[in-house]
Amino acid sequence: MGESTGPRPQTQGAPGSAVRHRSGTEKNRFSYIFSWELHERLLWFCKLRWLAALGLALASVLGPYFSMPSTSPSLAVVAVLVALYNVVFIHVLRARLGPEKDYAALRGLAILQMVTDLAALFFTVHFTGGCSSPVLPFVVFHMAIGTIMIDGRTMYGLGFAVAGAAASLFALEHLGVLAQVATVVGGRSTVGSCVLSMAMLVVLVFGVVYLTDSVTSRFKARNIELHETSTELRRALEEQAQVERRKSHYMRISAHQLRSPLGTIKTSIQVLIDGYVEPGSADGRRLLEGTAARVDSLLAIVNDLLELAKMREGRARAPWTRKVSINQILADLFDALDPYAREANVELIPHFINEGAAVLDWAVPPDLVYAFENLIHNAIKYSKPGGGTVTVALGIDRSHAMVVVADDGIGIPKELQDDVFLEFVRAPNAKHAQAEGTGLGLSIVREAAQMHGGKVSLESAVGLGTTVTMVLPLHHIPPEIIDR
Amino acid sequence: MPRPTVLVADDDPVFVQSVAAVLGTRYHVRTVANGTEALAVVDDDPPDLIVLDVMMDHMSEGFDVARSLRNNDATALIPIIILTGVDRVYNLRLEVDESWVPADHYLEKPISPEDLMRKVGELVGPGEAKP
Repeated sequence: MGESTGPRPQTQGAPGSAVRHRSGTEKNRFSYIFSWELHERLLWFCKLRWLAALGLALASVLGPYFSMPSTSPSLAVVAVLVALYNVVFIHVLRARLGPEKDYAALRGLAILQMVTDLAALFFTVHFTGGCSSPVLPFVVFHMAIGTIMIDGRTMYGLGFAVAGAAASLFALEHLGVLAQVATVVGGRSTVGSCVLSMAMLVVLVFGVVYLTDSVTSRFKARNIELHETSTELRRALEEQAQVERRKSHYMRISAHQLRSPLGTIKTSIQVLIDGYVEPGSADGRRLLEGTAARVDSLLAIVNDLLELAKMREGRARAPWTRKVSINQILADLFDALDPYAREANVELIPHFINEGAAVLDWAVPPDLVYAFENLIHNAIKYSKPGGGTVTVALGIDRSHAMVVVADDGIGIPKELQDDVFLEFVRAPNAKHAQAEGTGLGLSIVREAAQMHGGKVSLESAVGLGTTVTMVLPLHHIPPEIIDR
Repeated sequence: MPRPTVLVADDDPVFVQSVAAVLGTRYHVRTVANGTEALAVVDDDPPDLIVLDVMMDHMSEGFDVARSLRNNDATALIPIIILTGVDRVYNLRLEVDESWVPADHYLEKPISPEDLMRKVGELVGPGEAKP
């Protein structure tokens, strides 16, 4: 064993009855895995074949001493033939049909080897006494190995072929078409002894195939289960590692985002303490106001981080509420944000596309409010400088509510449009337009959409504006509610 | 002798105000908010020293500006102080190989006014107090 090189899959085995019920795709997947095992077994079988060739060569030399002088040359020819085709099989296995090849090709080669060996064996049987040959039991040995390597169903088929071949050989010998060879112990076989040998052979062949298949199919099934379990475990481990990496990255960038304003605050305070700026002077007041603004931005980041953490970790404890009206939430937000829009010289336009209310079966109202407020607030904040419009549209169909917030503002550069939903990603033009901003708003929006079974997307063009669309299923039942 | 000019590039206006207040006691200070503006100012009227923040519009903008200045014969000799601290990975890498980003000094945020004045003084002299 151990002939093959290169990476091995985790689970070994051969597909047989245990995988017969599987779909074609699964079969292919398992076949790929099992081809490694079959490749190794075929190479191992080739090693055994050298012993068979050696045995035949020895028998041809020792034949005369066992009352079989006439068969020695024939056995020598069979030994040479076995050695020759063994060389060919080894070459094919190593050079042409490596373990990376598909299982069907290897299985075909296994059947070919089995048939070739059985043919060589029947030649040997013929040259060593026909139905009384001492090598006849090797047929059973081949059938057992074949069942382990290939599968029971194929070997039952081969069993019929073996029985047919044996019956034909014995019949031809007794009919005189083929010359009967004396057995080792001398004498020729009778019809009765041949019928008995045939019966024994048939019982042994099918018995061995049945028993071997019964045992190996259980191993094969366990191999498959083991493979499935290890695949699931590997997948779970990979997912866990990915979660850990994401957490670590998130913690790192969160710390950076907190550290940056803290650095500014500390520097400003030190400048004031060291007397470079008089706190009571105009410059001093400006510096203090700027420092206070940095503290505000820190608080905003911390609040948003807490909100995000609450959404991610506290879904089970979230106040899931039945029958939540999006119309009501948006109407309340319009009232709350209108003064801010007027101050920014932005016209806030509600646009309800359909009659009727969009009511979610289950929702966490504070999180939806937070998300919609973020969207509308962002649209106002980054609206066209000097006055623009922000349209908030609500569309409903049988199964979904769609909230669209569109502005005619600064837009988001194309290269950042996929990333703005990630934490702390802010486009440079947004930073220039509005220094304040946590970079967490759209992450919260996405989180809120996902926890309600929905999704959020955006379209944007720099200088033309941004349209964010949140689609929420009306009848989504969150897993947290199902768990309860 | 005119007061040396220090260009401060940082996208945080409050931090810029603090740095300008410190350096303004002995140097002429110009401020910009990003790397592009910094390169434009250097091209137009080269300062005696540049104080560059690393993370402005882009993650490593300050490094990019420093490399660009060093690779230009006309600006290669302008001393550069880089303000780091946003990402400790940068700091660790700089500790291992200071030639990774060409700069004369590195200061970690939050900066001490005293350290800043000392390092600037080493590069362009003590400057001159405001009359």
